[in-house]
Amino acid sequence: MKITSLLVLKCQPEGSDPVILANASDVTHFGYFQRSSIREFIVFVSRTVAKRTPSGQRQSVQHEEYMVHSYNRNGLCAIGFMDGHYPVRSAFSLLNQVLDEYQKSFGESWRAAQADSTQTWPYLDEALTKFQDPAEADKLLKIQRELDETKIILHKTIDSVLARGEKLDSLVEKSSDLSAASQMFYNQAKRNNQCCSIL
Amino acid sequence: MPVKVALSSFRDRTQEFQSVAERLRKSFSSRPGQNGASSSRSRAEEQRSVVAHQSEFNRRASKIGFGIHQTSQKLSKLAKLAKRTSVFDDPTMEIQEITAVIKQDITALNSAVVDLQLFCNSRNEGSISSDTSSHSTTVVDDLKNRLMSTTKEFKDVLTMRTENLKVHENRRQLFSSTASKDSPNPFARQRPLAIKSAAGASNNLPQWANGSASSSQLFPRKQMDGESQPLLQDQQQQQQMVPLQDTYMQSRAEALQNVESTIHELGTIFNQLATLVSQQGEIAIRIDENMDDTLANVEGAQGALLKYLNSISSNRWLMIKIFFVLIVFLMVFLFFVA
Repeated sequence: MKITSLLVLKCQPEGSDPVILANASDVTHFGYFQRSSIREFIVFVSRTVAKRTPSGQRQSVQHEEYMVHSYNRNGLCAIGFMDGHYPVRSAFSLLNQVLDEYQKSFGESWRAAQADSTQTWPYLDEALTKFQDPAEADKLLKIQRELDETKIILHKTIDSVLARGEKLDSLVEKSSDLSAASQMFYNQAKRNNQCCSIL
Repeated sequence: MPVKVALSSFRDRTQEFQSVAERLRKSFSSRPGQNGASSSRSRAEEQRSVVAHQSEFNRRASKIGFGIHQTSQKLSKLAKLAKRTSVFDDPTMEIQEITAVIKQDITALNSAVVDLQLFCNSRNEGSISSDTSSHSTTVVDDLKNRLMSTTKEFKDVLTMRTENLKVHENRRQLFSSTASKDSPNPFARQRPLAIKSAAGASNNLPQWANGSASSSQLFPRKQMDGESQPLLQDQQQQQQMVPLQDTYMQSRAEALQNVESTIHELGTIFNQLATLVSQQGEIAIRIDENMDDTLANVEGAQGALLKYLNSISSNRWLMIKIFFVLIVFLMVFLFFVA
């Protein structure tokens, strides 16, 4: 489950190409000579997809072995290139987070951008590495995972409690045998006393 | 003003009324004096205005009845189309057009009936006989009932169509794996129409309409190879685009439900754990009591044994006493014998 790239674009009103505002790509697993072409490819595809995503809508596009997820919110578009195993829902919640973070840090200044910005945004790079595991991005997934772990632990607990119950049962048997034996012992001792008092 | 033939639950007495009005006017105009004339004129005007109202009412009622009739005809056409739909030859566009048209008609007719009722009520506040008022209320009620039955039929047809689609979807899934994306499109479109709620419809309709338009442009560009490939993918992607919003929301809703059910299960497991532990607590108490009994028994037995020990150790005195008694007996016995 891998995220290859995250981008934030500004979607122009119909007709012109979107403007790239932030770009974080992880092309390390391609060969050295392919890297720049892969980057170009990412830029081109993200521009095309962002252009085709209407405002307020989410879109998922399958391209060769990648899934491109895009979410357009009021003209600000976040795009993620993920492989097929990354769950769609976590992808979109990640895009949501990225957009929120972008708006928090840059406010409305992105609306004025006209050319591709080349400066990197460190949050996006961190996000790329942090969110390789979809559970990080998607709180629901995290909660579900923790709940499953808790359930497993509870099952083990119940098994051990059942074993404890069995041991307690055997203990109760033994203790009842013990008390019966001690009672017989007492009676025997009493009888001893009564019988031989004549002699 | 003739009332439409279809409204047959009441009698058309317009002609009689008009003849009576004529007669009364003539009888009034035959009386001399201006008072008579003016009163007759005002009476005639009143009657004429009543007639005008009545005819206006009748006109509206007839229009509404006609509209209902047309709508039910369209509905029967829609029902036929919906029944006819097969796996591959799906007249989706027509069905959806007709559905949209019928929906608009029904809403228009609804508002027209409400207007008619208001009009009738406002008119009833004037000085009109009870016959006219009961007649008009009957007309309005009849129209409302018809509209309600038409709406119900519409809903039935829509549910039947969704069931048909579901059946086709299942069959399609049995036979092919890629064509399963085709069906959510009509579902996504049907849902807003079937529910007929403003919020849901307005949210869903523009989004999927935009989505289907955009995706169809996207894919022919992206695919450079043969023609058939982009077309097939185009259709698939178009179908995929439309329910994506829904799918996203649905998957979120599903995840939430999963979380909720997991938490519920955890709650049951905790309850069972508590029951088990309390049962075992009882067992532990029993063990404790058994041990106490054993302790008491053993102590008693120890006491008894101590007493026995004492009695054993002090028994010699008794034995000596018994021996003395025996020796005395022997001596006496010896005395008697020797």
